[in-house]
Order: sequence, then C-alpha cells, then structure tokens
Amino acid sequence: MHVHELNPKKTVITMVIFVVVIIAGLLTLTNPRLKYALTPEQTVLLTVSDDGGITPEKLELMLTGSTEKVEIIDIRNHYEFARGHIPGARNISAVELLEKDNIEWLKDLQEKGFTVVIYGKNQMQANGPWMVFRQIGFSNVHVLLGGYQYYLAYKNHETQNYSPCKADFNYAEVAKVSVTSGEDNNQPAKKTTIVRRKKKGGAVAGGC
Amino acid sequence: MNKNYLFLAILMILLAAGLLLVPERQNYQQIKPEKLMWDITQTSRFVTVDQVAQMIIEGDPTLELIDIRPAKDFEAFSLTNAINIPLDSLMKPDYQDYFGIEDMNVVFYGNSDIKADQAWVISKRMGYNSIYVMQGGLNCWIRKIIQPVEPEESASQEEFDLYQFRKGACAFFTGTKVEAPDAGKTGIKVVKRKKGTAVAGGC
Repeated sequence: MHVHELNPKKTVITMVIFVVVIIAGLLTLTNPRLKYALTPEQTVLLTVSDDGGITPEKLELMLTGSTEKVEIIDIRNHYEFARGHIPGARNISAVELLEKDNIEWLKDLQEKGFTVVIYGKNQMQANGPWMVFRQIGFSNVHVLLGGYQYYLAYKNHETQNYSPCKADFNYAEVAKVSVTSGEDNNQPAKKTTIVRRKKKGGAVAGGC
Repeated sequence: MNKNYLFLAILMILLAAGLLLVPERQNYQQIKPEKLMWDITQTSRFVTVDQVAQMIIEGDPTLELIDIRPAKDFEAFSLTNAINIPLDSLMKPDYQDYFGIEDMNVVFYGNSDIKADQAWVISKRMGYNSIYVMQGGLNCWIRKIIQPVEPEESASQEEFDLYQFRKGACAFFTGTKVEAPDAGKTGIKVVKRKKGTAVAGGC
C-alpha cells in the first residue's frame, strides 16, 4: 500500500498547505509603487546628453513669463532653506519627494505640462536626485545649474561660466612628471601597461 | 487512477501556468528607486583626493580607479593605474567585468565629480556596492595634491599636517623635490584663492 493511501488525511493537509503557500506567494507579488521607466542603457544616453540643467538666467525668464508653468523645489534641509532660498520655491527633500503624495503631485504636474526645477546647495546635491526622477519617468524634471550658490552669484552679478564637466587645467601640463637632468626630456613617459584582473565571466569560472 | 492524484496533477499544472504569467525578472539585481534615492543622500559615497592619493602612494591593491572621460582625455592624462570606461560606454557588456569584483573599491572620477556621480548612480542602480566618487574630480586633484596652498599662520596643526602630506604626495606624483619643512621661516605667504572657484564643485 502506498504511503499516501495509508495516510490520506496527512497527504491532503500537506497538499493544501503547499497550494496555499504558492497562491499566497502569487498574490503578494505586488506591483512596486515606483518603477523604472528608463533602462540603464537609456539612462547612460541621458547622462551623455545632459548639459547640467537650467541656468539661473533661463529660470528668471521662465518665472517672469506668464505662460510658463514652473514649479521650483529646494531639496536642501529646512535650516538652509530658512536662511535663504529662491522665491517661490517649495522645500521638500529628495527622499520625501518619493513619498506617495508627492509622487501623485509630481504626476499631476507632469500631466498639466509643468516644468519642475530642483536645486540643492550646488550642482552635486541635485544631480543624483534628478537622475532618479528621470529614471522613474518624470521627464519634466530639470536641475538648476550650479545650485543655490551659483544662483546667488548670478543675483549678485558675479557672472561665472559654470560647466559641470569642464577641465579647469591642462592636466598633462600642470601635473607632468619632471624628469631628472641627464635623461632625454623629449622621450615620452613610458606608459606601463597594467594588467587589470577582470572577473572571470561565464558559468565555468575555474580555479582562478 | 486515484482521483486525488488527478486533482493534484491538474492543480500543479494550473499553478505552473500561473507562474508563466508572472512578469519577467530582469537579469541584473536592480535596486528600488526609493533605495537608490536613499543611497544618493548618503555622503559616505564620496572619497577625497587626499584619500585617493594616500591609497595610490600606499599601493592599496583594493583601489580600482575608473576614469569616465573620453578616451583622448584619458590618454592625455590619467591617475595612476586608472581604467578608462567612458561614460557613454558604461553599460557595455565588456566593461561589466570591472564591477562587482570582491574586495575591490571602485572610485569614479572625471574632470569634476558630476559625471562621475552619474556613473555612480547608474552602477548603484545595478546593485553594485563598494563604489565611490572622488569628490571634486581631477580639478580638485590639481588644486589640492599638485598645487597645494600653504595654510595661513593662524591655521590649525591638522591643516599644516595635511599640507605637508599634500606636498609629499605632489613630490610622489610629479617627481618635484620636497622642500624641508620650514623651521624658522618668518615670511608669511598668504595665497588667496581666486573668487572664481566658488562653484568649484565641492573641492
């Protein structure tokens, strides 16, 4: 006699538990609230075409123009915001902006054709958050170039030409290795080829 | 055949069919946007140029510098033992082997730190840990390591120690002679930073 026939009740109970677990697993497979709208490859393309964002001049134009729908968000902490901020800006931190209500608000703004400009104290602070918003599908979010400190410089008429990836020096010139006297100065520094150990790819890694 | 077994078999087939309908998971373990945003607000992902200089000088084997600038910029100048992965090629399959190596600390750098940070965000989304950004980039490397500014006389001991370290590091990287620490120098050289560096990007 088969064991299942010997203990039919036990079999049924085990079976039911097993099925319930699977169904529970399938049901709790919820859709995540925030989903990526851009693949990593598309995000790379985004960074390549990124020029750093909206200049303070452009922001002023947008604010004074009557047709532009602009929402400014200051992502610094409340203390910094209280000390000084762009007029009309809302103070919401980057992490808070991802909360349910704020996302609903951002979606609403996007539908209505608003441009959302986020800024931090400098370019860096808003850089990462901007990337997250773009990746989850908010294509109307932009960074204020240079952040609040650049905006202040602009308002004080200290015009500077800030670019987020400009080389401020000719590195090869400035950091060149000075050869000791006696050697031929025209000889280019020998570039030693360093063998970088890459991860062994593929299924069969072997005993490297 | 036993009816129970038939019932069980049908149920299993139905569940298997149900599993087929489950949305396909991607190959890489992406992290959720909320977690990514949280990680972005952590400043522990930055390393200073001083820390990088120290690691290079000490020959730290865990340091993996990744230069995200175009190839011709990398050819013109790069940090010691840095690997070139231009930002636009970050997701190429060939380069994926450089990430996720056990115990290695990947440090992204560029002219400044903005593009390096963007590379960091994408890598972080892919689930890689032990990735960092060199704060200020090469612009800061030059300002601090290659052209260190002597602190004013009223500066703290730490600042003077840091300045000595940077002068030593400069000598290491460029081969210039290190001046002996001035014991009785009376002249105070006050070098004011040009105003233009207000947005120097966290150097």
